[in-house]
Amino acid sequence: MDVTPTPHSHGHSHGQDPFAGPVPLGMPDPAAPGGAVEPRRLGPLARLAPDPVKVVLNWGRRYSLWCFNFGLACCAIEFIAASMAKHDFIRLGVIPFAPGPRQADLMIVSGTVTDKMAPAIKRLYEQMPEPKYVISFGACSNSGGPYWDSYSVTKGVDQIIPVDVYVPGCPPRPEALLQGILKLQEKIAHESLPDQYPAAPVPAAALKRPLLPAPAPDAAPADAEEGTAQ
Amino acid sequence: MPPLPSGSVGPTGHTEHTGHTGQSHQRGSGHSGRSGGSGGFPGRGLAKGLAVTLRTMTRRSVTDQYPDAQPELPPRSRGVIALLEENCTVCMLCARECPDWCIYIDSHKETLPAAEPNARARTRNVLDRFAIDFSLCMYCGICIEVCPFDALFWSPEFEYAETDILELTHEREKLREWMWTVPPPPALDPAAEEPKEIAAARKAADKLAAADAAAEAAAAAAQESAGTTPPPGGEEPAP
Amino acid sequence: MTTGTPTSSTPGSGTRETTVGIGAGAATELGTSDMVLNIGPQHPSTHGVLRIKLRLDGELITAAEPVVGYMHRGAEKLFEARDYRQIVMLANRHDWLSAFANELGVVLGVERMLGMEVPVRATWTRTLLAELNRVLNHLMFLGSYPLELGGITPVFHAFHEREQLQAVMEEASGGRMHYMFNRVGGLKEDLPAGWYGRVRAAVASVRSRMDVFDDLVLGNDIFRARTRDVGVLAAALVHAYGVSGPIARASGVDFDLRRDEPYLAYPELADVLKVVTRQEGDCLARFECLLEQAHNSLDLADACLDRLAGLEPGPINTRLPKVLKAPEGHTYTWTENPLGVNGYYLVSRGDKTPWRMKLRSASYNNIQVLGELLPGTLVADMVAILGSLFFVVGDIDK
Repeated sequence: MDVTPTPHSHGHSHGQDPFAGPVPLGMPDPAAPGGAVEPRRLGPLARLAPDPVKVVLNWGRRYSLWCFNFGLACCAIEFIAASMAKHDFIRLGVIPFAPGPRQADLMIVSGTVTDKMAPAIKRLYEQMPEPKYVISFGACSNSGGPYWDSYSVTKGVDQIIPVDVYVPGCPPRPEALLQGILKLQEKIAHESLPDQYPAAPVPAAALKRPLLPAPAPDAAPADAEEGTAQ
Repeated sequence: MPPLPSGSVGPTGHTEHTGHTGQSHQRGSGHSGRSGGSGGFPGRGLAKGLAVTLRTMTRRSVTDQYPDAQPELPPRSRGVIALLEENCTVCMLCARECPDWCIYIDSHKETLPAAEPNARARTRNVLDRFAIDFSLCMYCGICIEVCPFDALFWSPEFEYAETDILELTHEREKLREWMWTVPPPPALDPAAEEPKEIAAARKAADKLAAADAAAEAAAAAAQESAGTTPPPGGEEPAP
Repeated sequence: MTTGTPTSSTPGSGTRETTVGIGAGAATELGTSDMVLNIGPQHPSTHGVLRIKLRLDGELITAAEPVVGYMHRGAEKLFEARDYRQIVMLANRHDWLSAFANELGVVLGVERMLGMEVPVRATWTRTLLAELNRVLNHLMFLGSYPLELGGITPVFHAFHEREQLQAVMEEASGGRMHYMFNRVGGLKEDLPAGWYGRVRAAVASVRSRMDVFDDLVLGNDIFRARTRDVGVLAAALVHAYGVSGPIARASGVDFDLRRDEPYLAYPELADVLKVVTRQEGDCLARFECLLEQAHNSLDLADACLDRLAGLEPGPINTRLPKVLKAPEGHTYTWTENPLGVNGYYLVSRGDKTPWRMKLRSASYNNIQVLGELLPGTLVADMVAILGSLFFVVGDIDK
């Protein structure tokens, strides 16, 4: 394994790039969910582009999502079902023929992410070109799902890569994936790249979430933290 | 081997490598004789494939137009869990039996003033929070099965993908909203046993009818001979 | 060694001095150095996250080592923290294509420990659902195996049939893949009115289209050329590695638990049940076994429907105590899953959770034979052999 085992420093660090060279690949760090994202940069042209251009760009991005299927478990079968004749997500402009991550815009993580698999997912995500989107398909990749208390399962793919849309279900039906794709397309239509890649560094506090209230003492303990505090 | 008609994967040169593989390459050794294209004219396989293509082209498309047309889902379809809050007694059975422990319930006890002067004050549980984390839920339906007061139901709705995982934790207002989408349960197979709800209702109705009949008989008897005791069990509570 | 898709080459043991030459004698002197090629863990041909470390001499595979564990979810440990109702929900997920058969093993084991009688209607309906599940599973592989060999069409047909069967399964159980319809002592609830008729229609419709696989796939020159005499698995290896299911039967090992140690209603279906065997043991034989078994499962489903139509009305489950505890002891239940023998070794200490539940999954044993099967073949045949072992990664890694 040539992945560096050092725990990565967390947070989106924009502007001055603290990492020179390749981004260190780390094991999922529960202290920094969604952290260790490579620093994103945007040229001045894209930042200053007039609105109509952005609309056209977004429109183009929305309806040509070359999709890289990270099929891991049960949900992958439903993903395949969604790509077959009955549901056919090519109608929505999702093209499942990306030859590899380097040619893909959208990664659909469907299935249980294990700690052994996590470095590979992160590596392949980082091979994707910007702008890139991730759909987390199914309970396992949302938060570990039925296996959340297992010793070998990553509690959600959003601990290692940022996720744009979460599709619930175990496994979700193919129509649910289509709805997730529609949701993502809505998001892409309204996005503005300069907002997504701010020039100034984002303070660490902006990435933090307030703590969730604890569950009732007589309910099953400790699952609120695992399940929802992402 | 006839010339391969299409430019797709070929037989990858088995014959050249027989020496490498060391396997016995006895072609046609005893395989059940669904004679493929090996006997026909060259390109027969291609023709057959194209015939299937043409035949399929004339058929109606099987594609569902999902965002425009909603799928017709069976009533048992496990899409989302709805909560009928009024029925919930905060017994915590669902939260305890959930294999993922993804149901969060908060409650407090409330003391009701005594209904009658010499009765004890009663306490009851009041629901403060009922939430299901659908990012964790494994859609097994145990909570619905164990609920003794029919407060939880399956709804076939599936359109609740979110961009923020916290939104997938549906609080009780949202769970109550799903209640409007719950379909009636399907009728059971004729060979099935009567569902226990219907059986219980039937028992109650029979009991009531019997009580009514008894009351009428007793009233008739009372008219004949005044001063007898009133009929027993005038009002039976339905179980 | 790298993780992910890239390949790395290490100087192998067989490094020879490379002499470049032209002519008849040159080829023998043209030495090659070994290369280690990682297939997977994320690779289209592994349909899942299986990794295979190949040592190559040119195009020839000299050694192969399946590296498992990328999908290990620790289900056995999780079983110990869940009660018998909750285990059923988790047990169906290791082999996600045969969820019903997985549940079945758990409930049969618990019922045996409790000495529980299951109603007749439940037994027959379980048999029916198990066979439908077998068809669903086989259809997936009947579609995906040609896909791996370069034929895209069959998988569309396979999923068309799968959707029809999944529709009836969903109508009964509410789930398209994870039915969670088994309970200790029977099934979750009774079936909707008219369901049996719709199953019959679905089975008939699927059967009417099975000629796609009989003729279009099996009759295809390219398909036959790429599978015949490729990856021949000897019966001795089958026994040595504990290979089971259609793969073992394609090598002439005539073993099927439905006939040899019958459970459910299989004893009464002996005249319909046909154990499909082949003697060749190559990829084509494995595919033929799978296909014929799918045909037979459709027949079995029809036979179950016939029997169910004649059964007396009755319950489909038994009332259970509030807290279900298996008595102290242990039992081993094995069932003929679509992919092979699936066993649960259940040890109970009288609690409401098992003390230990060991899972014997079919694919784990089936995949180990790759280390013997792949050396001596070519890289291009690797895809054909790998696909013909019909495995589910979750079933390997548990």
